Parts: sequence; structure tokens; C-alpha cells
Amino acid sequence: MVDGIPDDAAAFSEAHRDAQELLAWYVTGKLEADEHARVGAHLSGCADCQRDLAFQRKLEAGIAAMPVDVEQGWSRLRDLAEAEEIPAPAPRGLRFGREQAGYLGWGIAASLAVALGATLMPTAATQLAQNTSADGAYHALGAAPTAAPGNMIVIFRPDVTEAEMRGALRAADARLVDGPTAADAYVLSTPAAKRTAALALLKARHEIVLAEPMDAAAR
Amino acid sequence: MIRPGSQAGERRGAVVIPLALDETRLIARIVDRDLRAFEQLYRIYQPRLSRFLINILRRPHLVEEALNDTLMVVWKRPEAFNGTSKVSTWIFAIAYRTALKARARNDEPIEDPDAGSRASLEPGPEQELGQRQLQAILSEAMGKLSAEHRAVVDLTYFHEAGYREIAEILDCPVGTVKTRMLHARKRLKDMLADQFGADGW
Repeated sequence: MVDGIPDDAAAFSEAHRDAQELLAWYVTGKLEADEHARVGAHLSGCADCQRDLAFQRKLEAGIAAMPVDVEQGWSRLRDLAEAEEIPAPAPRGLRFGREQAGYLGWGIAASLAVALGATLMPTAATQLAQNTSADGAYHALGAAPTAAPGNMIVIFRPDVTEAEMRGALRAADARLVDGPTAADAYVLSTPAAKRTAALALLKARHEIVLAEPMDAAAR
Repeated sequence: MIRPGSQAGERRGAVVIPLALDETRLIARIVDRDLRAFEQLYRIYQPRLSRFLINILRRPHLVEEALNDTLMVVWKRPEAFNGTSKVSTWIFAIAYRTALKARARNDEPIEDPDAGSRASLEPGPEQELGQRQLQAILSEAMGKLSAEHRAVVDLTYFHEAGYREIAEILDCPVGTVKTRMLHARKRLKDMLADQFGADGW
């Protein structure tokens, strides 16, 4: 049955069984060095295993070449993930130093549910807003295609709370359209007729560092 | 370990992942509810998990749901990853359990009736047609194995996992993995011999 049968038939039989069990991972190079050497040594004297090795190499190539026939479905999974309301987990060893800030940022973004919809004119103020997409235009919470364009840009004080932000927006009758940008600015929208008054009000509030008008072109 | 891309990805048309990408760090960002990190993880794993799941489920319409169920476990409980295994081992183990549950829910064992023909739908040059026919026959043979045997074969040959890692994913002894591989290989050999003759494969 084999070429070069060793003297010790029992030892050969044991080595043969061992090699047969490990042959698949010998083919893929996933054995430990000692296992690989053991199988290799047996292979050199076993015609059965050599035939099996040839078969498995073809099998491996054939299975590896079988196509993946499933469409991309990230948008559906994203919807599921966004719909999932999960409280912030307790700090664990896996965190990398962004515990509360990370969740605060997520919470504000989720609660405000901003939509990006403006093509901004290149004014000095809008330069702040244009940075919004500098990170690759990922707007998981802003997939709505009909978002209102912004007409004001503001920067809040760094230590502003979410309640203070909400209060300022309500006082100015403004809605958050986008942000924070790379410069931590937010794009707001308010009825055109109220914009001057809204800007004056925002500039007067202690939680606002900057409030400027911004013109936006329709898409 | 299951290869995250590089050679395997290039050879098999899967997503090729930058070597520097640290999947453990991605999980840490997901713990912080970073949806962008979750998307990155999805794009890394979607091709490989889809492939793994289709081989277990054999019913394409169940694959997307099982894939999403798997990744939603990651999204909902990322802190369950304790770092004692590779991220890929953890995710594939979730996928395997998810797939077995999906099969149980949908009643065994209605195999994908199109599995054998899917690979040969498009006409092409003769050698490509031959390759597709070969793949179709192989796919049909794989479809006749049990889900457990298919999982071992696919994890070994496509995902290039070692038998110890497969045992972790399938949550079974390494001896069981070896035995399943032996039986699966013998069955595939017999079935392919029926198609190609004893020496034709």
C-alpha cells in the first residue's frame, strides 16, 4: 500500500493517522513547526498521503476560488445600529481614554440628528463649515436628502452643556443643520427674515463665542 | 489565525485590509459607540462573513439577516470581547452560532437549490467556463456536507484558519475538528470522483 514501509508498522500506522488528520493544515501552512516537520517526514514515505496532498491542494484552490455572491448591505445594518438605543457601557479595559467625552459626543449628535444639506459659499465664515466633510464626508446621521441649508455659523464655548446649546437654539429660533466641523463650529438655520435678530441674540449669549451670517447655495 | 486580508484577500477577491489596521482598537471604539468604527469593521468582515455564512446556510436569502445579526451582537455587546482571542475568532464564533440558530429557525435541511448552478450563470471563454463548471460541481458537493463539516472545510481552505482556532470558533474539541475534516475530505473526494473519475480531479 505504501512505498518504503518502515520496520515498525505500528509506528507507521500512528504517523499515518496523524498525517491524515493534519494534512489539510499542512496544505495551508497552518501547522506548528514540529507538526509540519512530522507530517513532512511521513509524506516522504507514504504514497497514499502524497496522493491525498495533491487532491487537497486542488481542493484548497477550488474552494478558495468559489465566488462570494452576496451584495453589500451596510446601509441596512447602519439603520439597525442607529435604531439601537444602548446606554453608555461602563468603562472597561478596552477603552482608550475617551470614555465620557465619546458618549457625550454621540449623545449630542444623536439627539440633534443633524442633516447635511448645504453647498456652502466660500465666505470666511463658511470656511469653518466646509471643514465638516474634510474627514471623508461620513454623515451617518445625515442621510436625509432634503436637509435645509444653513444660513448662520456659530461656535459655542468649549464647556457648553447640551441644555445650554438647546436653550440658545430655541431662543434664536434656529435649528442645527450641521456640525461640529473640524473647527468645532455648527451650521444653523433660521428663517431669513429673522436672521439678523437671531445673530444679535446669539452674539449676546454667554455660551456663544462666534456667530456669523452664512450664505448657502441650493444644491 | 484567520487572515484579515493581504494575501488571502488578494487571491480570493475579498477586501484587502491595511496591515496596520488594529481590529482590537476598532472594537474599543465601538465600545465608545463609534458608528464609523463599526462601519470599518463591517467593511472588513462583510465579504468573509458572507462567504462563511453562505457556506453554512446554503440559502442566500438568510445570509444578510445572519450577517446583520452577527454584527449587531458586536455592536450591542462589544465589551464581551475580552481580548483573549483574536477579534476574527470572536466574530466568526458569533457568526457560527448565529448561523446554526438561523438554520434551526428555518428548518433543516433545505439546501440551496441553486448552489450548483450559481457559479455557471455567465458565459465566457472556454477555460473560464471549465473553471466555473468545476466550481459549480464543487459547490454542489459542498452542499451535500453537513453545516458543521462545511464550516470546517471553509474555515480551513478559504479563511486559512488553523485547527485550534477552528475549534475555538466552533466551540468543540480539536479532535472533533480533525475528524470532521477527515470525513468531509473523504466525502468530497468520493463525490468529485463520481463526477470526474477516480483520477480526474
